[in-house]
Amino acid sequence: MVNRLNKTALTSDEIFATGMRNQWHAVCPSDFVARGDMKKVRRLGEDWLLFRQSDGSLRMLADRCPHRGAPLSQGQHLGDRVACKYHGVQVDVGGTVVSVPGMPGCNLEGKRLVTSLPVREVAGAVLAWFGTDPDAEPGPLDLPERLVDDGISRFLCYAEWKAPWRFTLENLLDPMHGAFLHRESHSMFGGETSAKFRIRETDRGFFFEKTDQRGVNFDWVEFCRTGVDWVDLEIPYPPTAGPGGSFGIVGMGTPIDAETTAVFFWRYRRVEGWERDVWRFLYRTKLEERHWAVLEQDRVMLEAMAADADQAENLYQHDLGVIRLRRLYRSQAAAQAEALAGA
Amino acid sequence: MSLYLQPRQAGTTGPTPYELKLAGAIEEVFGTGVHHLEGLVKGLNDLGICSPTGEPWTPDTFTDEMRRMAA
Repeated sequence: MVNRLNKTALTSDEIFATGMRNQWHAVCPSDFVARGDMKKVRRLGEDWLLFRQSDGSLRMLADRCPHRGAPLSQGQHLGDRVACKYHGVQVDVGGTVVSVPGMPGCNLEGKRLVTSLPVREVAGAVLAWFGTDPDAEPGPLDLPERLVDDGISRFLCYAEWKAPWRFTLENLLDPMHGAFLHRESHSMFGGETSAKFRIRETDRGFFFEKTDQRGVNFDWVEFCRTGVDWVDLEIPYPPTAGPGGSFGIVGMGTPIDAETTAVFFWRYRRVEGWERDVWRFLYRTKLEERHWAVLEQDRVMLEAMAADADQAENLYQHDLGVIRLRRLYRSQAAAQAEALAGA
Repeated sequence: MSLYLQPRQAGTTGPTPYELKLAGAIEEVFGTGVHHLEGLVKGLNDLGICSPTGEPWTPDTFTDEMRRMAA
């Protein structure tokens, strides 16, 4: 496997900047890659090729020809393999070189030289396992129940923000910004602008929640680590949104690189029958646009923050969730770097 | 690198004038606090927002239309 990009030298800072390894990350919406098509994506600071075969199955390969390192994504989809545009080297969906047309019998043939990531497709999105050892089995993936429960209706909203991934996660671990940044939104106009928070442990992460208000604004968030990192939160709708109560968000943020993040927001609501249909109709015609406007408030704020904004802060009690998150990721990055250095 | 920022992801096309008008009326009725089917249908009919056939809505015709447009 010498032709694989050697990542053993990743430092703790590099891992912190480009994302935790040895876990699942959301990659992109499933419909970004049609049957028989392929697409280049950059995730965790590296380039990848998403490749969908005609039977619908999806594969994910390092976007790097094992011959000279040219991007396979510029090559040709050959059904169950890709031919590099540079010299025609053919790599199958498992990462094995199957043909070197310019030199038949070349010793590259038959060797698995391209990293292939395990992928799953869930609730309209592609998830992939980013391991430090390309030959190791992926770890377990417990999916957020909001994404698999039949009694819940959902829409995925996907966007790319020019902000570090940690800022996007920290934004979700900061419920209080709802009452300020989103004060004039369709869903977060209510409630107090001061609050006390607490952290409540769970067996998969923790809740960060207001102690004195619930169901009025963005009042709580649960951070979960279940093989993939995600948050769950709930925000009330005004009466104009009809029956079904609050809507929820399952959120994920995947580093594209150190400065850019792919954000995933599944807006969901526990509705069935005609209530479900009306919500979906209203979402498509009216609500999606309003939700987007709220998301844009977050994007504009986060993109305007200096890349080192978190180096000159004065935090207070509302930031306990953010602090907790940072410590967790900082210590995990250090542990992963140490393990890689010793490997 | 151009970043992906597409506001409309739940449907391939934007809503039609008919859909916008109907959605606006549904929100108007919901906004009065009426959240049950019969009340919603009556509210739409009272507003003069008819079904595509020109007839007043019934719970059946309304739920059929919503099922069609929810996908």
